[in-house]
Amino acid sequence: MNFKTVLRAVTNVFRLRKFQYALAVVVVVALLPLFVRNDYLVGSVFTDMIIFALYASSWNLLAYSGQGSLGHAAFLGIGGFASALLATKLGVPPIVGLFVGGLISAGIGFLVGLACVRLKAWFLAMVTFGFAVITVTIVSQFDNIFGGMIGFATPSIVPRGTPFFYATLAITTVSIATIYLVMKSKWGLAFKAIHENELEAKMIGINTAKYRLLAFVISTFFAGVAGCLLTENQLIISTDIFKIDNSFLPLIMAVVGGLGTLEGPIIGSIVITSIEKFKDVANPILQPLSPLFRGVTIVGPTLTLVGLGIFLILVVLFLPQGITSLLHKIYDYLREGETTKKGAQKNEGK
Amino acid sequence: MITAGLAQALLFGVANGCIYILLATGLNLIFGVMKLVNFAHGQLLMVGAFVAYEVTTVVGLNPYVSILVSMGSVALIGIVLEKFAFRKIRGTDKLNEIFISLGLIYVFQYSATLLWENSYTIRIPSPLAGLSVPLGEVSLSYDIILAMIIVVVILIGLVFLTKKTKIGLAMRATSQKSDASMLMGININRVYLFTFAVGAALAGAAGAIYGILFPFNPAIGALPTIKAFAIIILGGLGSIPGAVVGGLLYGVAENVTGYLTNSTWQNAVAFALLIAVLIIRPTGLFGEKGE
Repeated sequence: MNFKTVLRAVTNVFRLRKFQYALAVVVVVALLPLFVRNDYLVGSVFTDMIIFALYASSWNLLAYSGQGSLGHAAFLGIGGFASALLATKLGVPPIVGLFVGGLISAGIGFLVGLACVRLKAWFLAMVTFGFAVITVTIVSQFDNIFGGMIGFATPSIVPRGTPFFYATLAITTVSIATIYLVMKSKWGLAFKAIHENELEAKMIGINTAKYRLLAFVISTFFAGVAGCLLTENQLIISTDIFKIDNSFLPLIMAVVGGLGTLEGPIIGSIVITSIEKFKDVANPILQPLSPLFRGVTIVGPTLTLVGLGIFLILVVLFLPQGITSLLHKIYDYLREGETTKKGAQKNEGK
Repeated sequence: MITAGLAQALLFGVANGCIYILLATGLNLIFGVMKLVNFAHGQLLMVGAFVAYEVTTVVGLNPYVSILVSMGSVALIGIVLEKFAFRKIRGTDKLNEIFISLGLIYVFQYSATLLWENSYTIRIPSPLAGLSVPLGEVSLSYDIILAMIIVVVILIGLVFLTKKTKIGLAMRATSQKSDASMLMGININRVYLFTFAVGAALAGAAGAIYGILFPFNPAIGALPTIKAFAIIILGGLGSIPGAVVGGLLYGVAENVTGYLTNSTWQNAVAFALLIAVLIIRPTGLFGEKGE
């Protein structure tokens, strides 16, 4: 392979519509901190959005192969704890810890995946959920190592705020690109075939067990990486990372955004993280409703969570392909308008 | 002393078992007929407990009468859920069921948090509270005895419903082959609606009994669902006797384990067992062979 063919391959990639869009998105996101000079927004909201985009993408890849996990928080936490412990106890640099954390998470993911290979929809959901419960029980037994509910401080690759924002963006971009390449590869095709109909996939000679396990390992690797990033952004890790919400959020994000697509989990992460962060801000707006509810004094956060549930149900019922399908429809509609206009002009010209 | 403690743990196990039986039977009924798993089933239990609480404290009904009210209202909720949510996704990807249930969990749990005080001390005031039959070193409260009787009555009613009535026959036919029963003139939409309502009513009854026996809060729904699911996986999908035996055994085993060992391990041990069973038999102990 000489220089020319490499150059041609690279320019071909640059000519791809999808690549141009993706590049545009990354550039726009990268420019954000220049315009938004707010530490909370950049360091907490935007960075969390990017981390959760990766986390939801990892969940999405698993669902792409027809496997729905209800216990992904276990892998998020394993990745986070692995990198935090490596950094604090052994002095491993956080950037190395990031990959080792991912690898450890993938290693445990391999074992869990091995147990799940033959299980169908709800059985799989149960086992993964159960695994998360077992993990948190075991971790809670060793408070001297894992720090229990209080947790312990962890170092970060780069200082929190804008530098970490860029580090997260870079790592997430590479990771999501990798996930995309996997989805578009021969492996991805096998995942899709298994999702559509496992029996038929098996019949045409796909080793379903192998590919399901593969999806599990790749997914848990990136979930572990996301866990490391989340820990390093918070500069502290505790058993709180295993909370049930962390298992459900990637699912909600992927479904709301659009299951099985590249952009779905990213859009979902933007929408759901906004809603999640909104619950802190929304309080003054929602507080006048408090006489209606005698259960809590501060209604904002709880009411937002009810809204989140309703939102999820409505999306599943009326927009089964997620928000991204809506965007595609709008895009198609606009383009269609353009082309018909052009067509009309051409006809006039004739 | 050890034996007295053990006996007490056994009794609590039976009380817990009563609730698990109702929950698992309802879940199993819905699964058997509709091939659908509603992960928000435990949230229906929680709603049932709060309905019974409101009916007894505000309206002033006897708590044991409030079980009926609770069953009725939760059945109504079930009808709404089946008609407007689960029916729409029937025949689509199985993952959709999990998504819808998850949304329902959020809606029910946090609505309850908004509407009722989130304290762990709420309990339905029973007129029989404190009364018990002394049995040697331990005592058996009247509430537990009554709860057991109610569970038995409900189960007999359920068996009668499925074995002796026309709609029960339709339910059994649909559970065996829904396409064929549709061709035989069974309106399976009605059968599904009815099944879901009955399953929900059982959860409502379980909730009211839970409220009488134990203190509760809006978060109680989550774990019982998982346990009920574990019970039907172990006891056999679609088998009501399996759910009854499994529920009782699980309740007793859980409490005795909790008494003998550290109670923080209770749930983890239960899940470890469940996972072990599923690894060996992916469709459950008595499940049918794969599709």
